[in-house]
Amino acid sequence: MMEMIKANLPVFIIIAPLVVAFLLPTFARKLKFVENLVIFVQVLMFAGIGYLAYIVFSRTLGETGMSYRFGGWPAPWGIELKIGNLAVFFLLVIVSVGLPVALFSKGNLEKEIGAKERVTRFYVLFLLLCAAMAGMALTNDLFNVFVLVEVATLSCCGLVSSRNHPRAAEAAFTYLILATLGSALILGGIGFIYITTGHLNMGFASEGLGHVWRESSHVVWLSASFLLVGFGVKSALFPLHIWLPDAHSTAPSPASAILSGLAVKGYFICLLKFLYNVFGITLLREFGIDKILVIAGSISIIAGSLAAIKQKELKRRLAFSTVAQIGYIFLGLGLMNEAGFSGMLFYLASHAIIKSTLFLAAGAMINATGKSKINDLAGIGRKMPVTMAAFTVASLGLVGIPLFSGFIGKWNLLLGCFDSQAIFPIIVIIAGSVLCAAYLFPIIRIAYFEPSPKTELQDPGPSQKLAFVLLVSAIIILGVVPGPLLELAKRAATELMML
Amino acid sequence: MVLFKKLIINYPYMFAVILFVIGILTVLTRDNLFKKLIGINIMESAIFIMFVAAGNIRGGKVPILDGTLQREGVYINPLPSALMLTGIVVSVSVTAFALALIVRLYKFYGTTNAKKIAQMRNGVTEHDGNDKS
Repeated sequence: MMEMIKANLPVFIIIAPLVVAFLLPTFARKLKFVENLVIFVQVLMFAGIGYLAYIVFSRTLGETGMSYRFGGWPAPWGIELKIGNLAVFFLLVIVSVGLPVALFSKGNLEKEIGAKERVTRFYVLFLLLCAAMAGMALTNDLFNVFVLVEVATLSCCGLVSSRNHPRAAEAAFTYLILATLGSALILGGIGFIYITTGHLNMGFASEGLGHVWRESSHVVWLSASFLLVGFGVKSALFPLHIWLPDAHSTAPSPASAILSGLAVKGYFICLLKFLYNVFGITLLREFGIDKILVIAGSISIIAGSLAAIKQKELKRRLAFSTVAQIGYIFLGLGLMNEAGFSGMLFYLASHAIIKSTLFLAAGAMINATGKSKINDLAGIGRKMPVTMAAFTVASLGLVGIPLFSGFIGKWNLLLGCFDSQAIFPIIVIIAGSVLCAAYLFPIIRIAYFEPSPKTELQDPGPSQKLAFVLLVSAIIILGVVPGPLLELAKRAATELMML
Repeated sequence: MVLFKKLIINYPYMFAVILFVIGILTVLTRDNLFKKLIGINIMESAIFIMFVAAGNIRGGKVPILDGTLQREGVYINPLPSALMLTGIVVSVSVTAFALALIVRLYKFYGTTNAKKIAQMRNGVTEHDGNDKS
């Protein structure tokens, strides 16, 4: 039994949440049991992923990655999972957001969503999303990516619409239409790759493209642009972000946390795999896609931050901030050197943790006060000390103050800019930090230094506090001792650069 | 002339491109939510046609091993068709979900026109719409 699980561990990481997700509705009447089961599944995933990370981390650099074959069929015919450094890195990000979100949701969701039976549906979608994300991190097959992207998209739309509110339904519909447009483009892009190379396995498709791209460069170009726009819509790159603020601000706050923290990045990881594992760096340089990524990322940072400053609702401000932070990640993708890549990956992890902390804290405050405007939060820092402390630490991390995790990511991104001697991105990154302070610090000032109205407010319960403690300690630990995770990011970067 | 000939020979692809453009135009320009959904479906069908056309070989046989299939003979590639079966399932589930959302929006607003909904929403005051439906 143990041997079987060990041999098939990568599959179990995807299957476990998937199976439990479909079992949950049978326990819908026992809400406590459902909540504990979800937390248990997250802990199991954590254990499994920790073991995988241990295996991958203890390998020496340069060793070829492990791969898992479904049904024992070898690679060009069968579907393959690839357990490389990048996959393990993203899996770690998934659990480190998923577990606190599950803890935070415990006993807290019914108030926010409304009806009791909706809570179970929320958990079903949450686990499906986790499974799809894990699949995206691991898979090495083009069509598999499409199916997992669709699973993730539908669960995201479901999470957005889980509150019975007209604006939630509207936001979910806009999101669904745009995301499906993106999926159609992604499928088209995959189709062009399949037509030109005849392979759906990433490694073989990449080899095929290396042979044929000179003769049919227009098809490869078309495929790259389809994929870029398709995943750009899904991961909210600036001109394609219009669905994000509505969707992320109307969703219940644990859903916002998981959508902003994880879902957007899952699509980004898929794009990363397509661009670097399939097209390869030479092709991207030939087509000038690196420049497109840097420019789009820069515009995203500036425009997202400026839009965030103008927002008066707390969750909308955080949602626009996600658009800005996604810009950093795309910028790092376009830098095309090792320092830039490792910085981008580290920033991705730190933003996932920070943004989920911010959304959970915002959700706790909005739940307690019943108000969603920033100005209504006057003096809340003294009434809900734990929540506001988590919010403050996360804000400092997002701005990039040293000793918090955001700083390490930004620092490595800057090193990457220096390596490729790009002046413009350096200015944008620093300006982005200043703008970030401009939209987050006023919230902290209002919460701590303004007189509070005389209302009774309390910090949320113990499991919510535990979630905050986990997230905040992750932010601080990654900021003070970035060593192991940064090492993993660097290895993943080297792996990507070698292809 | 050569280009024209190529276009004629590859007519399934041209058909797919035309459908795709029709679909995307419908999604982006129509205000009615149903029409947007129909546009999405047309667009997805275009991609499916492209895939299936890519697997087709003129004069090829059906790839079923029943003893009559010769090793040297030409037979069509079944993989794209199999993939599109999955794609169709995905598309159906998206359609079902979108229809459910349209029903919910119709219950709230009494219309399926995106512009009217936007107008009404800006007039609606902020309230917690947790009614028991």
